This record gives sequence, structure tokens and C-alpha cells, in this order.
Amino acid sequence: MPDSINLNKLHPIDFREVLGRIGGDTSFLLELLDIYFQEYSKKKQLLDEAITQQDFTQVGDIGHSLKGASANLSLTRLLRVALLIESAGREKKLQSAQEAACILELEIRTLKDFLARNRLEDLP
Amino acid sequence: MKILIAEDDPISSRILQKNLKNWDYEVVQARTGAAAWRALQDEDLRLSILDWMMPGMDGVEVCRQIRRRKKYKYTYIILLSAKDRKQDIIAGLSAGADDYMTKPVNFLELRARLKAGKRIIELEDKLIFIQNQLKDVASRDSLTKIWNRAEITRFLSEELERGQRERIPTGVIMLDVDNFKKINDDYGHAVGDLALLQVVSRLKRKVRKSDKLGRYGGDEIIIILPNCPQTEIKKVGERLRLAVGRRRIRTELNTIPITISVGCATSDLPGTSSAEKIIKTADRVLLRAKEQGRNCVVAAGDAQKTALEQKNA
Repeated sequence: MPDSINLNKLHPIDFREVLGRIGGDTSFLLELLDIYFQEYSKKKQLLDEAITQQDFTQVGDIGHSLKGASANLSLTRLLRVALLIESAGREKKLQSAQEAACILELEIRTLKDFLARNRLEDLP
Repeated sequence: MKILIAEDDPISSRILQKNLKNWDYEVVQARTGAAAWRALQDEDLRLSILDWMMPGMDGVEVCRQIRRRKKYKYTYIILLSAKDRKQDIIAGLSAGADDYMTKPVNFLELRARLKAGKRIIELEDKLIFIQNQLKDVASRDSLTKIWNRAEITRFLSEELERGQRERIPTGVIMLDVDNFKKINDDYGHAVGDLALLQVVSRLKRKVRKSDKLGRYGGDEIIIILPNCPQTEIKKVGERLRLAVGRRRIRTELNTIPITISVGCATSDLPGTSSAEKIIKTADRVLLRAKEQGRNCVVAAGDAQKTALEQKNA
């Protein structure tokens, strides 16, 4: 994992912040998370293709897009990873992009596990 | 009020849509800059939230396109971006955005900023309304409320140009109230004004919607008749003469007879290519109608019968 981040100290999602943004509507949050996961599947495939083809512009754009979506849902750990992907793309760093793509996959799993283990109403 | 959300990120778009609907906006959505531009062809879409980064045409380019157009009412633009450096904000506002917000959006702030946008649009609407009212006042005769001389002359020039393009003749009728000075002298200016108003009212009922009436000066009225050839205009003039002269005008004290003299000219005659020339021609034949005893119609180019013969026919 790159030195610049230490994700373990962060919650996968800042519920207080995101619910504040969407008026405390938990069912709406679930709808948004569903959209996020659907979009993620498409973007991850595009990201892998872009890394294979060393299309750094595309890598940067996907990172930017993931950054916006993660920030909207206060997905704090995924937001950090998206920033790494965006920077790797802008700075044309292939290895950093490959590493960040692997972390992205892990963090998605972490988020899904976290959501499966916890009821939204009980979360901090 | 209608509002455009141009945002390619489905989550951001969905959150915006939900909030805006809760605030009673009618939401139109676009996922690309090109789709946003197409949606903005709707003149009722006056508020827009544009994401900077979109596939194809980005939000900044959409801003520039909006500001380039001339005939549309003002569109208030809030540009959204994750870019929060000073130079990005300056670039966004320089491209024509009215406001700039960084993502993720604080919705209380967005709501307040949209209210500011609505105020600007409402002020612009009021300004346009007053401007149109002033324009109308400046274009109309204060007594009769028909077009004034400057405006009717402008209409005539436009109509002649259109007629030349489409090869259709334009008719001009110049008329005045017979012995108008005597009406003013005998009954006073208030009755003179009343007579003029009555004449205008009777004329209005006898012309087509596409015809335009103007006060050329004093008691002279000019009527522009699109698509009216020389073979037809005299019949129109005669109809107007009869409509005005058929009934006396009722004043507070009595009734008085009223008649008009009418001069007609059309652009399918030689020497009538400009507004000035055709008015001059209509004025000249109006003078002939006066000379021939008033209460008659004379058309330019009509050599078959004298006005007097027609009146006696």
C-alpha cells in the first residue's frame, strides 16, 4: 500500500455526514449505495482496460469520477483511493495506478462487508 | 420554476434531483454537455446547474455557448466542480457562470444560492416587461394608441422589403378626415379628438389583422396592407370610406357628420420602391381626392374613372 495513506484509521463511510447531506433519509442512502456499486462495476472494468493500455488520461478521468461519487456518499476510504488513482493517471505512474486499482477492489469489499454487518440505523 | 441539472455522475445527479424536487423545482436532467445544450434551447429553462467535467462538451464550454447567444432571456448558471483552486473558480466565472460551488455540495448553501439566482431572473423579467412597455408607449400615438409615424414608417420599410423578397405587392392607404379643422374650430378640440378616435375605431373594424394602422400626423391616418395589389386597393379604400361616413358621430351635445378622403398606392406601380416614395404617391392621390370634392377614393395608377364619377356611380 502506498505510504501516503493509512486507511485503517478511517471508517468506510461517514454516516453522520452523508445523512446530513441527504436529509437523514436512510432508504435514499441505500438507493444511492446501490447506484454506487453498479457504477463501480462499470468503472472498474474501464479502469483495468485503461491501465492495460496505459491510457493515463482515462485512468485520471476514472479516478476523478470515483472521487466525486465517493465524496458524495462520504465513503472516506474509497475517496482516498480514488484520489490516488486520479494522481497516478495525471502523473502517468503505471505502478501507482496498478497498486491503487488493487486497493480499490479491496476497499469495495470492505465497504460491502461493513454494510452487511451493520444496520444503517445503528451506525455511528 | 424549471431547472437543468447537467451532471454525468448518477449519484450526484440523483441527490440534486431529489433535493430540487423537494424545493418545488421542475427538474430537467442531462448527462452530457451536448444534451445540456439541447435542453437549454427551451426558453423556459432559466436556471441551470452544470457540472464542469462531463463527457464531450464540458460545463465550461456550455457556459460559453449560453453567453454567446443573443436572443434568449438570461440563464442563471451555477457551475459545480471538485476543482477548488482559485484559478479554477476564476476560469469558471470567466466562462460565464454566475456562481461556483465545489463538490460535494452543501445543500443548504445550494438552496440559498438558487434563491439568489431566482431573484436575478425575476428582476430581469421585470426589467424586460418595463422595457417592452416603454417601447410600446414610445411607438404609439398617445391619443389613438395606433402606431406613430416613426413606427409605421419602419413597418412599411420592412413590409416593402419582405414584399420584394416574396414578390408580393404592398398597399398603402393615406386618408384624412374631411374638414377636420372646421370640426375643431366649430366644436372644440375635445370633439376633434373624439372624431379622430371614432374614425380610427371604425377603420380598425374594417381592416385585416395583418394590416397596420398609424397616425401619420394631425388627422392623417396611414394603413399598410401586406399582399394588396393595385387591382384590390381601391375596393379596400372604398370600404373604409363607407365605414367611416355611414354614421354620424355622437358628441355630448349633438351628432356631427364625418367623412374621409382616401389616397391609395401599391408597390406594384412604378416609382414606389421605398417607403418614402410610396407614401409620397399615396399623399399625392389623397390631395387629388381632396381636390375632387372630398369623401372619395383615388388610387395611383387608376386612370379609368375620376373620383367624382365613382362617387356619383
